Amino acid sequence: MSKKVIYGIFDDEEVLLNSVKEVRSKDISIKEVYSPFPIHGLDHALGLKRTRLAIAAFIYGCIGCATAIWLTYYIMILDWPMNIGGKPSFAYYLSMPAFVPVIFEMTVLFSAHLMVITYLFKCKLFPGQKTSSPDPRTTDDKFLMEIESDDDKIISTLLKKTGATEINVKEIA
Amino acid sequence: MTKQKKYWKGLAELANDPLVDKLKENEFIEEIPVDDFLGDDKNLSETSTSRRDFLKFLGFSTAAATLAACETPIIKSIPYVVKPEEITPGVANWYASTFYDGNDFANILVKTREGRPIFIKGNDLPSSSPNARVISSVLSLYDSNRLKGPNMNKQQVSWPEADADIINKLSNAKGDVVILTNTIISPTTQEIINSFSEKYSAKHIQYDTISYQGMLDANKESFGYRVLPSYNFEKADVIVSFGADFLGNLFNKSYEKEYIANRQPKNGKMSRHFQIESNLSLSGANADVRIPVKPSEKLNLLENLYHSLSGTSTPNPKIKNLVKELLSSKGRSIVLCDSNDKAVQIMVNAINSILENYDQTIDLSQPIFTKSGDDNSITKLISDMKDGKVSALIINGVNPSYSLSNSNEFNSALSKVDLKISTALCLDETASLCEYVFPDRHYLESWGDARASFNLVSFIQPTIQPLFDSRQFQESLLVWTGSTRTYHDYLKDYWRSKIPWSSSLQNGIVELNERKYPSTKFSATVKSIKTKITDLELSLYQSNSIGDGSQANNPWLQELPDPITRACWDNYLTISASTARQYGFSNWNISNGALNGDFARLTIGNIVLEKVPVLIQPGQAIGTVGLALGYGRTSSGKVGNGVGVNAYPLVLNNSYTSSDVKIEKIEGEHEFASVQLHHTMMGRDLIKETTLQEYLKNPKAGNEPLLYDTHKGKLAPDQIDLWQAHDHETGHFWNLGIDLTACTGCNSCVVACHAENNVPVVGKEEVRKSRDMHWLRIDRYYSSEMTDEIADEQEIGVVSMYKAMEIPSENPDVAFQPVMCQHCNHAPCETVCPVAATTHSAEGLNHMTYNRCVGTRYCANNCPYKVRRFNWFDYADNDAFDYNMNDNLGKMVLNPDVTVRVRGVMEKCSMCIQGIQKIKLDAKKEGRKITNKEALDSCACSSSCPTGAITFGDANDQSHSVTQMVDDDRSYQLLDHLNTKNSVFYQTKVRNRKS
Amino acid sequence: MQKESPIREPLILGDKSYHDITIDVAKPVLAKANKMWWIVFGISLVLFVWWILSVGYTIGTGIGVWGLNKTVGWAWDITNFVWWVGIGHAGTLISAVLLLFRQKWRLSINRSAEAMTIFAVVQAGTFPLLHMGRPWLAYWVFPIPNNFGSLWVNFNSPLLWDVFAISTYFSVSFVFWYVGLIPDFAMIRDKVNEKYWPMRKKIYSILSFGWSGRAKDWQRFEEVSLVLAGLATPLVFSVHSIVSFDFATSVIPGWHTTIFPPYFVAGAVFSGFAMVQTLLLVMRKVVGLEAYITIKHVEYMNIVIMLTGNLVGIAYLTELFMAWYSGVEFEQYAFLNRATGPYWWAYWIMMTCNVISPQLMWFKKLRTNIVFTFILALFVNIGMWFERFVIIVTSIHRDYLPSSWTMFSPTFVDIGIFVGSIGFFFVLFLLYSRTFPVIAQAELKTIVKSSSEQYKK
Repeated sequence: MSKKVIYGIFDDEEVLLNSVKEVRSKDISIKEVYSPFPIHGLDHALGLKRTRLAIAAFIYGCIGCATAIWLTYYIMILDWPMNIGGKPSFAYYLSMPAFVPVIFEMTVLFSAHLMVITYLFKCKLFPGQKTSSPDPRTTDDKFLMEIESDDDKIISTLLKKTGATEINVKEIA
Repeated sequence: MTKQKKYWKGLAELANDPLVDKLKENEFIEEIPVDDFLGDDKNLSETSTSRRDFLKFLGFSTAAATLAACETPIIKSIPYVVKPEEITPGVANWYASTFYDGNDFANILVKTREGRPIFIKGNDLPSSSPNARVISSVLSLYDSNRLKGPNMNKQQVSWPEADADIINKLSNAKGDVVILTNTIISPTTQEIINSFSEKYSAKHIQYDTISYQGMLDANKESFGYRVLPSYNFEKADVIVSFGADFLGNLFNKSYEKEYIANRQPKNGKMSRHFQIESNLSLSGANADVRIPVKPSEKLNLLENLYHSLSGTSTPNPKIKNLVKELLSSKGRSIVLCDSNDKAVQIMVNAINSILENYDQTIDLSQPIFTKSGDDNSITKLISDMKDGKVSALIINGVNPSYSLSNSNEFNSALSKVDLKISTALCLDETASLCEYVFPDRHYLESWGDARASFNLVSFIQPTIQPLFDSRQFQESLLVWTGSTRTYHDYLKDYWRSKIPWSSSLQNGIVELNERKYPSTKFSATVKSIKTKITDLELSLYQSNSIGDGSQANNPWLQELPDPITRACWDNYLTISASTARQYGFSNWNISNGALNGDFARLTIGNIVLEKVPVLIQPGQAIGTVGLALGYGRTSSGKVGNGVGVNAYPLVLNNSYTSSDVKIEKIEGEHEFASVQLHHTMMGRDLIKETTLQEYLKNPKAGNEPLLYDTHKGKLAPDQIDLWQAHDHETGHFWNLGIDLTACTGCNSCVVACHAENNVPVVGKEEVRKSRDMHWLRIDRYYSSEMTDEIADEQEIGVVSMYKAMEIPSENPDVAFQPVMCQHCNHAPCETVCPVAATTHSAEGLNHMTYNRCVGTRYCANNCPYKVRRFNWFDYADNDAFDYNMNDNLGKMVLNPDVTVRVRGVMEKCSMCIQGIQKIKLDAKKEGRKITNKEALDSCACSSSCPTGAITFGDANDQSHSVTQMVDDDRSYQLLDHLNTKNSVFYQTKVRNRKS
Repeated sequence: MQKESPIREPLILGDKSYHDITIDVAKPVLAKANKMWWIVFGISLVLFVWWILSVGYTIGTGIGVWGLNKTVGWAWDITNFVWWVGIGHAGTLISAVLLLFRQKWRLSINRSAEAMTIFAVVQAGTFPLLHMGRPWLAYWVFPIPNNFGSLWVNFNSPLLWDVFAISTYFSVSFVFWYVGLIPDFAMIRDKVNEKYWPMRKKIYSILSFGWSGRAKDWQRFEEVSLVLAGLATPLVFSVHSIVSFDFATSVIPGWHTTIFPPYFVAGAVFSGFAMVQTLLLVMRKVVGLEAYITIKHVEYMNIVIMLTGNLVGIAYLTELFMAWYSGVEFEQYAFLNRATGPYWWAYWIMMTCNVISPQLMWFKKLRTNIVFTFILALFVNIGMWFERFVIIVTSIHRDYLPSSWTMFSPTFVDIGIFVGSIGFFFVLFLLYSRTFPVIAQAELKTIVKSSSEQYKK
């Protein structure tokens, strides 16, 4: 018999959370959960790994910082040192204090923008992208659990039992 | 042995190849034989490329080149086809010449670039110091208002027909033929006039716009010569001036140089200068003791002085010390008076002869000829014209219809003359009443000579091709006398016999060794000059910028702020605060700071002057008002017309002072253009001051160094530094020192800077918005009755103290301080420029890169000295500012070495970097060090300073005078506590007064 | 699921289900604009046109058309710049700092606050550009090699620090704002009925980047918001500190002051919250969000205003004290001149609006009164504008050399650009309020259970 995909729709995030726990305890793999807002503890329930975006942001920040230091050094000391207001242009460490604001700003600039770009990339978010949510109500007040299985009966009943208000089953060739 | 050594340049030579010798012979490629080629007509005519073709090619290649460079705007330029040998593009030529217009006289050097005169400075032998008007006269050359050709009843005519008509009219003139000129000091011109007079039995009348009749006649009566004496201020230890502004303008020159020569603190002695006057004049501002009095009281004091010196009465308490000092320095003093009254001047002569000053400090044997007019003759002329006795009148160099007090009378009389000829440069008030106007040449286009003083003859030579179809006055006279010689030949022939012509012409001046006038004893009866004191009296004066008004159409002069009032584009009734209060006049500042004031109606006898603006002037004697001559021109040109009011009608019977003056407040609000709105130093020691006594005791007097407590002990600001400094010991280190004792505030440097650096003229409205563009300004400060000490004593609160400090004293001490970019070596402006448009040079200069500037104005805000000027509009190319820069003719005065700044950039003093570069290159080419003289001349301000108050040079070169100045005890930096390490420094002002 | 003590007053009034929230937020976008909106928009549009004309005239003719002069090189231009930047700060602060402190009450206002930030910074950005003598060369302030050889920028200049600070600040707050917007755009996308509004559907699906609310997306979403908040917070402080360096690092008495950075930041928060207050009080009426922007929110913000107002007050007094204590006559005169000089009125307007009036917030009655709050917010905005005017103009119009002392008075162009910029700002803000989800509904839904009225019964 062919594969089916079951959509369990819930009205309340807490119910959904319990049902997720139930379903997973039955070793049924949940394909995806769509919700209108972040649900605390859902990622644990689904057993999702911690995202490493923060670490990425930190690295990006370091890159920004380094770039800024190089830029100020190259421009003010290396390429064309000038006597500006009698301030030193002999060695970087002498004039560096004046560059701190720029270095800081560049750090933030890099880390923020590169992180967001990464985020959009990882989540495949970009203008013109089509939504993958099977039900538009998931951005309103419905919570949807998507399970792929050969046998929809058991799962449907299980979902019903755990509080799904609505079950849709779809054949996939 | 070594002699035998032979080096060959290659094997070929060793092999004695004939070719080698051939090459050797023409190792240096011979010049292209242009001359024999061009000289050989046959050859030329035969060649297929004629000169025309060549020019075509030239033209094509030029066009091609220009097109190729289509990135930059295309400026059409025509290369010299035949290059004049004396002109090298980019290299200035200097010509010696002479300025004389009847009111000013100076021996000058004219700087020309590519055949255009662009700058004027004093001649060095003998060193003479042109004043602001003379320096600006170069711009009057390019006045687009000048007449373009001979006119008959405002119609263009050709010279020949005009001449024919004139000659015919002159020859059968029934009445007198009269030539009316200013004082003629040119021997040749005099000769020409004489021969003309012979031919047509013409009268020659000399008329001085500013009359010195009184002094001339007095001298005639006292000594037998109707001349003006030459004063030796450098020899005078006591100078007593009764109103005579000898630092402003005393018969055609000002005496700063001689005056300051005897006021050098380092010599251990200074002359003491008493000024007894009613207006605050430049001389008064520099005086050690200034006694403000009414003109009438001044005369009474003079008489009192005379009697006390001759012991017939006791001195008035006001002049007690003065008398004492005069008596103790006989033969080393000068007493002079501005009165134009014979009796008064006789008394002055009497005083001077009592003091044995003649042949010591006052020299009649070497007289000055620049004024010899006789006012009676012009009165006579008017009556003659009225009676129709005059049938021809030739006017040159004077503008009686404007400058006569009874000009209406003159004009109506003039209408009775059937042949009226004016040779004015432009259609001035008088010329517009004459049917014939034969434009004279500007002196920079003319030939001429001048004998200003007895033994000195100076020459005038053209520095540019005549701009218009004009003819020199002398030339015209020659033509009309039927002579065929040109004036140039005439001049040459006249002098060739007497002096070495070309060298004298080159030097611009020659010393004659003729006998002196025999000195005679004073012999005249001294009459009493007692005058009734009235409650309001007027004294007229010449403003430092406009003078007698002949150059009223010169925008540089109009925008040049008066050194005392700091207002420009105006003349006004100066009045003391208390007198103003008494008559209900006031001045006030509007929301943007600009100064406004009331109008007055001025009445003297039956003469009424309407709408005279009133300016409150500290130091003005109570119960007096002052008014500048030379304004209120009606036909001077687009710039000068209608600026101010004409004060000449107030010159009643040739006296520049008048009693029984009535003023009343009338409707309206006058808008002044004042570049300085705040007049006191607010208790800040910006100008450090001391007295001679103090200075002799302690050379650092008034200049006690400021010391900070540091962990290294007490240190001066410039010894404390956050960073390791940039090296300024090696190479040049340009410094500029300003001796405040020697600065008389004469304004020459300001206008010289204006001319040298293409500083735009912005006009009255912009000046009112505090947007004057002067790179170099002379701050003028008055002393105030309120000081920190007084506040402490009287326990006055700080708020009311500062309020009181803003008000200058009624008779304040005046101090001048020229301020230009201080070229700080720790420049606040450089640090804040985001695009590094202003940076520091290794030679201690603060550079401004115009084409990098984006115009944030942050540098100007952060400049403690506020010397940066922002180009608010496109002043250089903007019809809204119709001054010389937006006028094709006026543009010719621009200095090609200095960028004309565009809109939206910051500009400021560069220490004339173009000059610095030039002297560096010259020195390099000749493989020598830069000399002190070169350095002094390279900066417009230092080269134009008559008293040598401004010294420019390389502080790393011991031979430069600035180097000694830096270490002098009087030297200090402005706002030194900021530790901006300025390259410009000042020297304490020393006054010679008992403290 | 975190629980909240019932004593805390609810942040959402009425029985709001998730769906109700969706509807309430989507309504202003989907429904037609009411009369009120059109009136306000019309007025702002007129002002905006005035702005365009003034700006055109300035660029066409030259900065000379402003009232500036040789002594006062900056006046309204930089005053407005600092004022707008200051206003901007509240937005970031509300969303970033309050997020870090887990302040739930931020949720119903942060979206608009951030919008305000972005529009304010847009206004601020125009002034440094316009005040240049040659704005068409503005790109020279970026470190790009140029056609004049290797001419670089000057990293010593506070103005250059500004360039980096402002551009970073603007772009970072923009992405922060947008990241939060994505799920809400998605919501609107799903609410738009394709049959009637195909165009809108298209636009919103583009704007929503195809968001579908997967569990992993949400996890990343929260992480990103947190990190951005962490970055934005120091950014806020740095930006206004750097703006204050423009003055603090100079040599002009009255500018050269070490307390400027904290003082400016406090002032920024102060004026920012006042502006948020002004806007939200209008918006909750115009768009009808009384249920979400409650008196509680208003009160909280009033408390912040009072606090920062006092900080600013202390700064003023410290300045005066330091001037006296320094013993430097120039410094002393500068501050004396502020209070008693020709611009004394500006100084006292500043004092009244910024220091005295916020004291009224001590009374709960007043700080919970909508009308009073609105008026006071306006006062604070005016006061803070004058603070910048006082600092800039009264310091330089009488600095070191009395010879160059003068005054400043604005021309109609100065006025036009300032008033016009306000119009410009409101045009942007009103368009936003009609087309954007003005409340971060996705995040708001997370607190319905914890802090809405119904669950507290």
